[in-house]
Amino acid sequence: MVMSTDTAKKFVSFESLPDFLARLAQESRVYAPRREGRAVVYRLWGPDDKAEFTARPTESCKQVIFPRSEALFYFSRGGEGENPDASSLILQEAPEPGPAVIFGALSCDARGFLAFDPVYDGCGTGGKAKDVYYLKRRELTTLVVRTCKTPLNTCFCTWVGGGPASSEGADALMTEIGNGWLFEAVSDKGAALLQSLPDASEEQRAEGAASREAAQGVFPQPADIKDAPVSLRALFDSAAFWEKQTAQCLYCGACTYLCPTCYCFNITDESNGIKGLRMRSWDNCMSPLFTLETSGHNPRPAKFNRLKNRVGHKFSYYPKIHSGRFSCCGCGRCIKSCPSSVDIRKIVLDAIKEAANV
Amino acid sequence: MSERSAAATSRPAFQPGTRNPYLPMPARVIEAITETPTIKTFRVILQDETLMREFSFEPGQVGQLSLFGAGESTFVINSPPTRMDYLQFSVMRAGENTTALHSVRAGDIIGVRGPLGNCFPYEKMKGKDIVFVGGGIGMAPLRTLLLFMLDNRKDYGKISLLYGARSPQDMAFSAELPEWLSRSDLDCVLTIDREAEGWPHKVGLIPNVLLEMNPSPENTVAVTCGPPIMIKFTLQALEKLQFAPEQIVTTLEKRMKCGIGICGRCNIGEKYVCVDGPVFTLAELKDMPNEL
Amino acid sequence: MAIQDDIKSAIAEALPGLSCVIGWGAGPEALRAAPLFMRDAADVDKFTAGFLAVNNPALFLPSLKGAKVGLVVKGCDARSVGQLVAENLVSREAIHLIGYPCRGVIDMDKATAALEGRCEPGEVKGLREENEDIVLDAPGGEIRLAKKDVAADKCARCRYPNAESADVFVGEKAAPVVERDDYADLAAFENMALDARKAFWEKEMSRCIRCYACRNACPLCVCRDHCVASSREPHWLTQADGVRDKLFFQLIHATHLAGRCTGCGECERACPVGIPLLTLKRAFSRQVEGLFGYTAGIDRSTPPLLTFKLEEPAIKEREW
Repeated sequence: MVMSTDTAKKFVSFESLPDFLARLAQESRVYAPRREGRAVVYRLWGPDDKAEFTARPTESCKQVIFPRSEALFYFSRGGEGENPDASSLILQEAPEPGPAVIFGALSCDARGFLAFDPVYDGCGTGGKAKDVYYLKRRELTTLVVRTCKTPLNTCFCTWVGGGPASSEGADALMTEIGNGWLFEAVSDKGAALLQSLPDASEEQRAEGAASREAAQGVFPQPADIKDAPVSLRALFDSAAFWEKQTAQCLYCGACTYLCPTCYCFNITDESNGIKGLRMRSWDNCMSPLFTLETSGHNPRPAKFNRLKNRVGHKFSYYPKIHSGRFSCCGCGRCIKSCPSSVDIRKIVLDAIKEAANV
Repeated sequence: MSERSAAATSRPAFQPGTRNPYLPMPARVIEAITETPTIKTFRVILQDETLMREFSFEPGQVGQLSLFGAGESTFVINSPPTRMDYLQFSVMRAGENTTALHSVRAGDIIGVRGPLGNCFPYEKMKGKDIVFVGGGIGMAPLRTLLLFMLDNRKDYGKISLLYGARSPQDMAFSAELPEWLSRSDLDCVLTIDREAEGWPHKVGLIPNVLLEMNPSPENTVAVTCGPPIMIKFTLQALEKLQFAPEQIVTTLEKRMKCGIGICGRCNIGEKYVCVDGPVFTLAELKDMPNEL
Repeated sequence: MAIQDDIKSAIAEALPGLSCVIGWGAGPEALRAAPLFMRDAADVDKFTAGFLAVNNPALFLPSLKGAKVGLVVKGCDARSVGQLVAENLVSREAIHLIGYPCRGVIDMDKATAALEGRCEPGEVKGLREENEDIVLDAPGGEIRLAKKDVAADKCARCRYPNAESADVFVGEKAAPVVERDDYADLAAFENMALDARKAFWEKEMSRCIRCYACRNACPLCVCRDHCVASSREPHWLTQADGVRDKLFFQLIHATHLAGRCTGCGECERACPVGIPLLTLKRAFSRQVEGLFGYTAGIDRSTPPLLTFKLEEPAIKEREW
């Protein structure tokens, strides 16, 4: 999807932005960050909404492409109420989604989808079984990424190959300059979205470039975590290390559900007897039920087993089968919103240090 | 046409196939067999005749059975690919889904997704002696390979089966046991944990009986499946008998949902049991994190 | 701070007889501390108390049975311990409590609001306490905030700032902030029309991501791995991303905590999207206090809804 020609650069003033969003909203569902109390969440944008383009969103925008719950298909049986006719069955596929725009996502959010992509494209089955629901939404969604000016204390995108203005995974970038936004297409989808906008002046382009360069300068220097895959594997059986690292963890799902790269899900049937649906919903590896087997056996009985898997997946297992790419985009939401202040950066660095001493 | 009459005879509203891997193929249960107080076997045929005709799988692969409204669970296809009149699954009643499945009767429509996962390395096993060691419901995955090998008998050397259960009542596939015991090309040993009246076969825990049988590891592959505790001691017994980790094959159980390597719950390190397994050699397992 | 050193001494003194002492240490950023599990002298050096000592260490008690554990506790934390003991969920003998006079803790919602237009809380590089203020090292220069403006609501209605049940109490006891809880926050909420209240909860709950941080941060929510939220037997809740199921869970949670909730507010604090969950629990607490005269975490008797009396003195059901 990367364009071969020179990228289109456009400018929209702060005042004109709602008009632009309103035009987009005529064609697509437009999601933009909105402040609600302490939280900033992605909401379906409407003309009366004020989008939040300063504070960083509390959650990632993954729910637009990977909804918190969705119908895989509907089923119905003959019969009545509590007595369905088990010899009858009608299955019906879920309706196809329409186009969507995620407006003002962060660059880490966009890079998060890159962790989903190969998995949902069916790499596990050699491409034989693809996740049609995800792929369809991904195809129909345009991602407009707002570049960051400053890092939060919890940001570490630079550790994992990202940066404040990374265009990886984005269709277009928007950078705040003077009294408006400089837009820049990254993909054909992005170019199509920006087509109607006025071109940016040379001066505005230069200002945008300068703003991004300045941002790059204030983001943290990357820590060296190239040994993480080997170190984490080496520490797999070090229960004492993991128990210490995870003592404060509450094993809730905040980290995984806010994470742009966590992609695990559950499948359950919800029905009233004769009608129902098979539903896919977010699930998380911090929950003891995630791996609890019917027999009662649980391969990850304690929270340290589970957090070890979460860290291991992101910094060891996933990179081993995906060309070294970490399944982490460094957004830091798991740190920022952890009710118990667990810091995944510290766990990874401590693991590298600990493994070196073993 | 009313919904009721539409049901079993007409095609579903979508064309099941390979496009959407989450859509089960409707299948009719042609026979529900009570094997033991806790195990039932279901024989099913896919409702779509073309799909049934074209359905192919390899021994050891699994399928997801859907009871719509209850959910989906993973079971090995325990009929062999050499006998395609129906697909057979055996279900031990344990949780919500399996309890619901036990209420399924002949004529009911359930859903099947599959085949999923890898298979037993039956090609590499050609020309070798085979020792099957099955415990309880763990006999199901062995059954598919055992029957496949019996149907391709000349490809394999001596075939032995040690099958154990807690009591005679807990032995699944009891209708087939007389044939297995009487076949001259199969050395079949049955055992139960404790003495029971009228039981003419072995009494003793599987690993102990295995040591007693003392199979030679020479040009032999052992295939084992059963409850975790039985597997643990059977592996120890096999190693005592000088079987190398490469000569021991087992098939794992994990909580699974998607069955296609996406939903993320059945991993052991970077391996996903649903696509990289469920069949692993002990050598492979030893390379993986210890998280069974 | 002198009191901090005194608490450290109390921890160091108790530590040899304990598997660990749980308190607070530096967190991942300036405005947040982290629970600290102290096992040796080096750990004790990392201890910090004060305005950021937010997390309730009582949470960890039910999972640490089998070895005697020490906790540094605020008054509200001690109430959670008291309630766990009253319900026989933990044994008081297996716990060593080190109390100190708490003068309030930070609320991130309020801090976020106070900083709006200036910076995000996550951009603050440092924090120091100066008597009644906190001084923040923020991107545009220092920002001074009055503690009372950014302290948790529970602190403004604190009746029990001192852990009365502590084995060791460090420092001078603080005076209660109020004599009684007037539940003014609930009254304000109940002044809203029913439609408006419904709309309020629908909007708030629609943000819920079902992470169950509220549940897992609750010291008295002890079903944990067997929670009805994910159970299929009983199958009360669907996994749908809808307000109905989300609110349903919160009502189950609040009902289960009726007369048990000590108002520590960890559910609400833990919620990553800031849903005002404590409101629901306080509605039940007010009822239980009114009907049964029972104050969770202070009264030592069995919580009224875990037992029954043939005739409740405040209900007088035979006189209706």
